[in-house]
Amino acid sequence: MTPGRLIALGWAVAVLAVAAATSPAVGISRDESVYVEAAASYARFWPEALRDPGRVLATADRRYAPNHEHPGFTKGLFALTRTVLSDYLGLTGEVQGSRAGAWLLAAFLAALLALWGCELAGPLGGALAPAFFFLVPRNFWHVHPAVLDLPVTSLMLATTYAFWRSTSASRGRLSTAGWAFASGLLLGAALGTKHNAWFLPPLLFSAWLLGSFRGRQQSHGPASEGAVGTVRGHRFPWALVAMAVLGPVVLVATWPWLWHHTLPRIQGWLGYHLHHENYPWMYLGRLLREPPFPVAYPFVVTALTVPAAILVAMIGGLLQSGARIVAAWRGRGPAVSIPTEWLLLLSALFPMALIAWPTVPHFGGVKHWLPAMPFLALLAARALVTTGRLLWPARAGAVTGALAFLALAPAAWQVAHAHPFGTAAWNELAGGAPGAATMGMQRQFWGDSTVAVLPAVNAHAAPGARVWFQETTALAARQYQRDGRLRRDLAVAAGPEDADLSIWQYHQEFRDREFRTWTEFRTARPVAGAHLDEVPLVQVYARPGAWR
Amino acid sequence: MTELPDPRGPSYRLPSPPPPDPTGWHELRRRALGTLWPPRSVAWAGLLALAVSASGLYGLWFQATLPGRLPSETDWKAAAGVIAREARPGDAVVLAPSWSERAREILPERIPARPEIPLPILALPSLGPEEDLRGIRRVWLLSLPGAPGGSGPAAVQLTARAGTVEGPMRLGQLELTRFDLKVPFLPLWTLPDRLASASVEAGGATVAAETREVRFLPRNCVVARWPGPGLEPVVIRLKSIPLGVGLTGRAALVGDSTGGGSATVRVQVDGIEVARAEATPGRPDGEPLSFDASRLRPGVHQLSVEIVPSGPLPRGVCVDLVALP
Repeated sequence: MTPGRLIALGWAVAVLAVAAATSPAVGISRDESVYVEAAASYARFWPEALRDPGRVLATADRRYAPNHEHPGFTKGLFALTRTVLSDYLGLTGEVQGSRAGAWLLAAFLAALLALWGCELAGPLGGALAPAFFFLVPRNFWHVHPAVLDLPVTSLMLATTYAFWRSTSASRGRLSTAGWAFASGLLLGAALGTKHNAWFLPPLLFSAWLLGSFRGRQQSHGPASEGAVGTVRGHRFPWALVAMAVLGPVVLVATWPWLWHHTLPRIQGWLGYHLHHENYPWMYLGRLLREPPFPVAYPFVVTALTVPAAILVAMIGGLLQSGARIVAAWRGRGPAVSIPTEWLLLLSALFPMALIAWPTVPHFGGVKHWLPAMPFLALLAARALVTTGRLLWPARAGAVTGALAFLALAPAAWQVAHAHPFGTAAWNELAGGAPGAATMGMQRQFWGDSTVAVLPAVNAHAAPGARVWFQETTALAARQYQRDGRLRRDLAVAAGPEDADLSIWQYHQEFRDREFRTWTEFRTARPVAGAHLDEVPLVQVYARPGAWR
Repeated sequence: MTELPDPRGPSYRLPSPPPPDPTGWHELRRRALGTLWPPRSVAWAGLLALAVSASGLYGLWFQATLPGRLPSETDWKAAAGVIAREARPGDAVVLAPSWSERAREILPERIPARPEIPLPILALPSLGPEEDLRGIRRVWLLSLPGAPGGSGPAAVQLTARAGTVEGPMRLGQLELTRFDLKVPFLPLWTLPDRLASASVEAGGATVAAETREVRFLPRNCVVARWPGPGLEPVVIRLKSIPLGVGLTGRAALVGDSTGGGSATVRVQVDGIEVARAEATPGRPDGEPLSFDASRLRPGVHQLSVEIVPSGPLPRGVCVDLVALP
């Protein structure tokens, strides 16, 4: 096995093991509770469809109706891992069983980063690139839940990697056509995960197109290979043809909801996301409700959530990539693959630029530009490896290692410190959670922090108490109960008026819920809470007599 | 063609001799500039290494020192003990920074010596003149001086409003300072307190004294809500009530009011309208109500507050009115 593959395998195993070990502490988020229920429904589709193939379309309509605003591939994977680990083997509960699908895709992401890092910057680059991704606290958090953001990030990276391999000289064992075929299948899987994958083919095309402008660079580098046709002396890549053909086929094949009424349902799916609701969101003391949203938002939030030293390395990587393009244009970088640099640069910047657009909804922390992060990690790893080589060629590994330690040690500390409250993690430039609270940034989202007060609720709630879970969905409450993490006698209340306990999760935009609770319960004193660096995330209020 | 000689002499100059450089400074400067500009790859690499090292070391320092800058469980309990021992009617606690609401879990909610009297805990981003601190004579400022981002402007603002300042008392990573207000704002009455004794015509609306959100902050007020299609005005009548030197208050929509209806609030004294305010989504902090009663005859008056909705307001309108002594 090559060193690159060994590193990739090591990273994949490590990510899988760490995800499985740290996942139970992470609460069930709003969207996750819906996806877990949807996965349970999808899991029943295949046995029913095989039992009665004549009614397959009716079965698809019934089983894939839940959460049909998102496609079927990754939720199908959640269904598969849940069926195997929870239903058949009994090794996990339903939530952890569903999450295993997300962990597998996180491990896949780690392996891909290691492989690509090795090819860009040698074994040290391969070892560092996954670390630059997974030691960002918010990225680490996204490894755990059975949601779609990290899976689509993983599959978009895989598609881009396959595209790159199909257009580069380093094709390995697969032929150009093999990599092109793989990129088509992977794009289909990405499209079958989340709609933001639709932006990938235009992005890859743009990178290829920009790569055709070579300035004074004499040699036509690897990007001219694996291509069909010619545009300005630059050959059109097969991979894009494969994507155009295979992507939609895989999307439909893995999403039985589309097996009939295909076009209207695709139209409905995309229409839902084109007119998505703007959830209120706190940003620098302002509640963002309606467009136009601030253009700087994704850049500021990235700068305040990625650990500072990793952020610096990422910026260094972006500048290095830009400088390599300029040097090659000037004829000073004969070995530089301009298309590769454009591919990395655009992949790292486009997802943020897309969310920066003032009419695009701004919510959900960093998750909507998570697909940028693997590329920023690759660029950061390469930048540090290059730095080591330039500063002390004879001891390049040691220099890079020392710099990597300084960049990654505080990040690892932050990851451990913020876990499991990843959506509330802010970096040292923000002043951590306290500094971000003072600045008026969104304190958390998705309602997963509730998990931290469940032990207290289980210990003290009066028998049969009715609990208002607020941002934590009723589905999540029932999943906690089925997984044995919440007492089964507790019931879900719809508001403070019919509740005995109120689990308030701090959201500035929902503050009235807390004050309604004060009025209804005639107390402003919480009976329990969960905090990150003294910043309250969740506080439990109890009606007199309901907390023992 | 032959060019004519320039009458002013040749247009070129011989290079001037190098300036005397006995210390070698000019040579050193020339070499340094030649090394740094144009920057070479190794210079950029050095810069990146420096930036990564500096930010990494800062990150380690931040993580290592953060817990020590924040209060421990013991610190909170010590502060709660002092407040429980020293608090008396007319006291309130102000939290600085305002997000430090963990204090609500630990501090007493009522004056321990007089359990019938509440001890308000205020988490306000600013204590400027817009906050009247009604009913409060003394403020206990509980601050986290070491918290990243600082503890905000509360100490300065309270100092400006205080006659006497006692403290700060250091309790681990907490600071407790007592401010005795120079001019406490002690109203004759407030509308929420008088609601129980008022006559209310509500129609399809519900009317209650509640704590609700106005521009993210808790406000005690009379809330009128129209959950259904009936949009009859709400009229609150207070008979035989002293007005002091005047009335002041505010009308605002409750909570996130984007896209909702609005309401008009009219205040009448002895049948004559004396103040009016519009509660609209465009003004999330509401509109003030104000009336100078100093020219009215002394004694008691008839007061009515009419709230007229323009459309369904399921969250309601928050009306606050107090009489100035």
